[in-house]
Amino acid sequence: MLLASVDYFRPDTLTEAVEALGTPGARVLAGGQSLISLLKLRAAQVDLLVDITRLEELRGIEVLDDGSVRIGAGVTYDDMATSQTLADSHPKLSDVASFTVDAQVRNRGTFGGNLCHNDPINNFPPMVAALDGTMHARGPNGDRDLSAEDFFTGYFANGLEADEILISVTVPPLNGRAMGYQEIEIGEAAARAVAAIGIDDGVISSAQVALGCLPVPTRLPQVEQRLTGAQPSAEVVAEATEDAGEGIQPVADADASAEYRRAMAPVVAKRAVLEAIEQGGRHG
Amino acid sequence: MGKGPGPIHEIELEVNGDTIHRAVSARQLLIHFLRDELGMRGPKIGCDTGHCGACTVQYNGKTIKSCMMLAAQADQAEIRTAESLAGPGGELDSLQEAFRSQHALQCGYCTSGMLMSAKFLLERNPSPTEEEIREAIHGNICRCTGYVNIVEAIRAAAGEEVSA
Amino acid sequence: MTAPTRTPVEAPTFVGQSMPRKEDERLLKAQGSFVDDEGMHRMGYAHYVRSPYGHAKILSVDTSKAEAMPGVITTLVGDEVKAMTEPLFQFAPREDGSQVIEYLLAVDRVRYQGEAVAVVLAETRDQARDAAEAVEVDYEPLPVLLDGVEAADSSAPVLHDSLGDNIAWKSMFDWGEVDLALSNADHVVKIDKLHFHRYSSTPLECSGVLVNWDPGTDMIRVVSNNQFPMFGALVLGPSMGVGVDQFDFVSQDIGGGFGIKINNYTHIGVLALLSRKARRPVKWTEYRTEHHQSAGHGNERTFTDIEVPVMADGTILGFKMKAFDNAGAYLHYEPLGAVIWSQVVPGPYKFKHVQVDYTETLTNKCPAVPNRGYSRMQHIWLVERIVDLVAQELNFDPVEIRKKNYVQPEDYPYTTPNGCVYDSGNLPAALERVLELIDYEAALQKKKEAEGTGKRIGIGIGTTLDSGTNNFGQSRILNPELPFSGNGEACTAMLDLYGEIMLKLGTNPQGQGHETTAAQVAADILGVSPEDIRVWAGFDKSHSTYIGFSGTYASQFAVTGINAVIGATEKLKNEIITVAAAVFGVDADQVELAGGSARLKDNPEAEIPFIGIANMVFANNAELPHHLAESISLTCRHVYVPKFEVPDTDKKYGNLTLTYATQTHAAVIEVDEETGKVEILDYAVVDDCGKRINPMIVEGQVHGATAHGIGAALKETFEYDEDGQLLTSNFLFYHAATSTDVPAIKTDAIESPSPFTGTGAKGMGEGGGAPLHTICAAIQNALGKDAPIVDDSHNPPERVWRKLNWQGSPDERGVTVLSTSEA
Repeated sequence: MLLASVDYFRPDTLTEAVEALGTPGARVLAGGQSLISLLKLRAAQVDLLVDITRLEELRGIEVLDDGSVRIGAGVTYDDMATSQTLADSHPKLSDVASFTVDAQVRNRGTFGGNLCHNDPINNFPPMVAALDGTMHARGPNGDRDLSAEDFFTGYFANGLEADEILISVTVPPLNGRAMGYQEIEIGEAAARAVAAIGIDDGVISSAQVALGCLPVPTRLPQVEQRLTGAQPSAEVVAEATEDAGEGIQPVADADASAEYRRAMAPVVAKRAVLEAIEQGGRHG
Repeated sequence: MGKGPGPIHEIELEVNGDTIHRAVSARQLLIHFLRDELGMRGPKIGCDTGHCGACTVQYNGKTIKSCMMLAAQADQAEIRTAESLAGPGGELDSLQEAFRSQHALQCGYCTSGMLMSAKFLLERNPSPTEEEIREAIHGNICRCTGYVNIVEAIRAAAGEEVSA
Repeated sequence: MTAPTRTPVEAPTFVGQSMPRKEDERLLKAQGSFVDDEGMHRMGYAHYVRSPYGHAKILSVDTSKAEAMPGVITTLVGDEVKAMTEPLFQFAPREDGSQVIEYLLAVDRVRYQGEAVAVVLAETRDQARDAAEAVEVDYEPLPVLLDGVEAADSSAPVLHDSLGDNIAWKSMFDWGEVDLALSNADHVVKIDKLHFHRYSSTPLECSGVLVNWDPGTDMIRVVSNNQFPMFGALVLGPSMGVGVDQFDFVSQDIGGGFGIKINNYTHIGVLALLSRKARRPVKWTEYRTEHHQSAGHGNERTFTDIEVPVMADGTILGFKMKAFDNAGAYLHYEPLGAVIWSQVVPGPYKFKHVQVDYTETLTNKCPAVPNRGYSRMQHIWLVERIVDLVAQELNFDPVEIRKKNYVQPEDYPYTTPNGCVYDSGNLPAALERVLELIDYEAALQKKKEAEGTGKRIGIGIGTTLDSGTNNFGQSRILNPELPFSGNGEACTAMLDLYGEIMLKLGTNPQGQGHETTAAQVAADILGVSPEDIRVWAGFDKSHSTYIGFSGTYASQFAVTGINAVIGATEKLKNEIITVAAAVFGVDADQVELAGGSARLKDNPEAEIPFIGIANMVFANNAELPHHLAESISLTCRHVYVPKFEVPDTDKKYGNLTLTYATQTHAAVIEVDEETGKVEILDYAVVDDCGKRINPMIVEGQVHGATAHGIGAALKETFEYDEDGQLLTSNFLFYHAATSTDVPAIKTDAIESPSPFTGTGAKGMGEGGGAPLHTICAAIQNALGKDAPIVDDSHNPPERVWRKLNWQGSPDERGVTVLSTSEA
């Protein structure tokens, strides 16, 4: 409950933040809803906390020329939930942000922090993976972009260097696609799936499906292939998602075994796709 | 000290309308600063992991769990705790009065945090549905009331009719 | 002596009113005083060093590095404690005198993860925490034993060499003739195994102790949130070699107790010793993780080889079974639970033949302590599972079979097979009402319509008893040598110098509203309003009055505490009247109390306000007849003693509890066939606790107990891994029921007054765990006969899912039926 000795620094600019991250043992402190918990449990060793919560450069949700939305890494869930911009462009992102965890956490937790922490129970990694989001990082040597695959590298791990900071995420426009988001909650989420489905002329024209509650958010290319060009019916979707649990390695805990989680993957995948289909035709 | 990285930081903040200057250790959580340094009783400690919400206060107008923030992060902030709710003569405000009339507290340990969450909800959403109320206090654990009367109290404070 | 009767007053009565509470103002304004709000001058902060292992030898404990760290005042380790204390009191040593040997800190061995090994005292919290990490303990891990049934086997690793095995206590309970019943019954329903899981009420405020052992006076001043301080004193005194008169206990507001805070006296002991060593006051507040690992868990009980004789008309004759209670590593209040369940042997039913082969074992889990519903809940859950499964397997209607087997209204007072007397109730009416509340007929229809949709509807009923005011003589069934019997509570009612009315209780509530209900009762007697009465908050040994049973636990305040209040207040009333009568020169029966004064019945204008009465006694006594001045104190103590006898310990027979509140629950649930997730669609409770002093407070207790039960049924469990590591060690992993887990709970009440309490009130509060019985029945109803039976009290999605997906044969479901006739 009590933290070990640690240093703290609140830089005034992003440049100062990046510089401070060059110190060994330095770590970004964003909303703190995950990191401070780790520090209280003494499950992480940090020498310097670099508080980025007031950096304006990390705030803001804006629509770009091509219709993509750029979300600042420091944007809180509450910012996302109350953003008309986001509600218009990617309503499911805004929606999930409005009910994730609880009100107090929503007022502090950040989109970027959620992605970087990459806890299997985090809401946004599978959403970003399903949407083919791009993560923009800044380090002492400049900026670089990371795809979801390159960003979510492992259990509680991301692809940033120790001295890099996530500054924003760009999410492509939906262009008429609709999204589904389904989970099975047992205290925390034990299984989760996100789907983005486009329907044209009564046929599924595009399908992106990602599983959460895994060490890394996992796209399901075979499922996507089966769905593309198929009828958006319950039978088709059930069949297409039947093997969604094969080969995944969910982490078991007191709430549910790995076997159960694996068995639930097709259930949430199917439900997410069906939800998206039901929502379909209302956007774009 | 100074503004660079370090273990001790000078902070200035407003707590329940009073301006406070202190030097705080970087490792100190806001909850401990409020309780041990300032003698606040409203925000309380009920868990280790930021789940129970007993420590809920308002930070620049929004509810946060003060056990999940460093004291140093509260520099230049406006904090309000449950101590700020009653009137200058100690009169209960309408939300507190609703909690009392609906028996929305038993041991009282969750109450300060619960009031702050209820207040935040009603400030944003003056006519919440029962579902919205339950969602709004999802981050405040109560082990005594089963939440039933807390929901009734918040509805009453919102001006809804409640059963006697 | 019998409970005092109430004298009617002409004013509107406050008893029976749903008055808002006196306690609320300070709690709403964050002006309550919980233990962490308190301090003592020059106090240090303590932090425990705890075992990371479930079972290990302690090879060495080295505090030298810790003691060299900044701010550290001193430390305390097990060997020191052993040298200066006696082992802790045990309820039931064996006949040869052997017993569990436990000191206030671990000595030589640790037996559960989280067991306290040492404690560090430093100037600040942070320094104590940092230094605790520097204490070096060398452990040698030992094999871990977790299963309460396996622990009874002689091949299991032995936890306590002083015992030679893991049997905490073992006995056969046998009433009626169950074997005869089994051979004569039309059907025998056999249930292989049922398991009641480990969880706790996890009060929001964890334990806390602020203690100073004063070197000058040798007094030990303890500010804590212990809810049964006198029990703590009875245990600590002999262990620490101090008199109970050296303890001063203080507590005001307590953030929930639910029985768990009975057990934290161990901390009081350790930290008092630390304070004496350091010559400084010591403050300690428990972490949530410590609480889950070490504060105490509710009883975990396994029932096996259950045989139930049933007649063709649905009469259930009783049952025979083995029970194994997993007491954890040490016995802090256990094995009392091994007897406490027998307050409710047949549950709410008229079973006559019951045999229980009961074994309580020790394992490498956290010690079991009383948890809301203590030991009766586990047993009644078993009884309700039996009734539920008998109905399902033999195609009896679950409502009709209950009505048939219930104790009927005309049967009260009803003596159970082991001599307990159920005082009053109306179970059939409660059942009818609760079914109305969930619109049972509509729910049945809904269930039919849901078939084939992928979501199943289940309807469940659970009846329970909340037995209150227990006869501590039942402890002698454990151990005939124990010097405990009966029960009681104390109260002092007094006037202060200006006639202010005060009540001082022996109880220390944790949210039950004693300040309010005590004031309501006293107000009616004295003819004033509850606002005119100061009820001293909390418990303070220096001013509260108490006996050995004083505290707040076990659903008894409405009887023991309130009757003490009534007795004391009536004595005060009589003294006030006596003084007034002397002043007026009339007989006492000419005087009444109303509006804060004593007045002549036939001339209300002639009145003396209480300030006047007080003045004459305290400061003006030459104006009183001398004999009165000497005998009237206006400080009136009363100890309420319910009428009990010591039970027959050989036959295990006798009245073990004074009152039996009942709760009848009904639930409509939806089970998602694909995921096993259970959602509660509708939930209702009918409570009967006799005459309710404050119905709103009663209803609040019903809500709270229901939420605890729902949480336990679906989300809350203390799970260990095979290495004895507690997986659900804090609120990150232990999913305490939140506002979105607990549905809107419909309630109604019946009042069947108790004939035994004077007021007609019964104790209530614990609730009896009915949601567990109800939700299990509802899940069973949704699963039907094609699935394994619901055999565990905890049913998270995976457990239900496995049952839904099970592919076995009917006689592998965990229940079999032998029928002797075509009935």
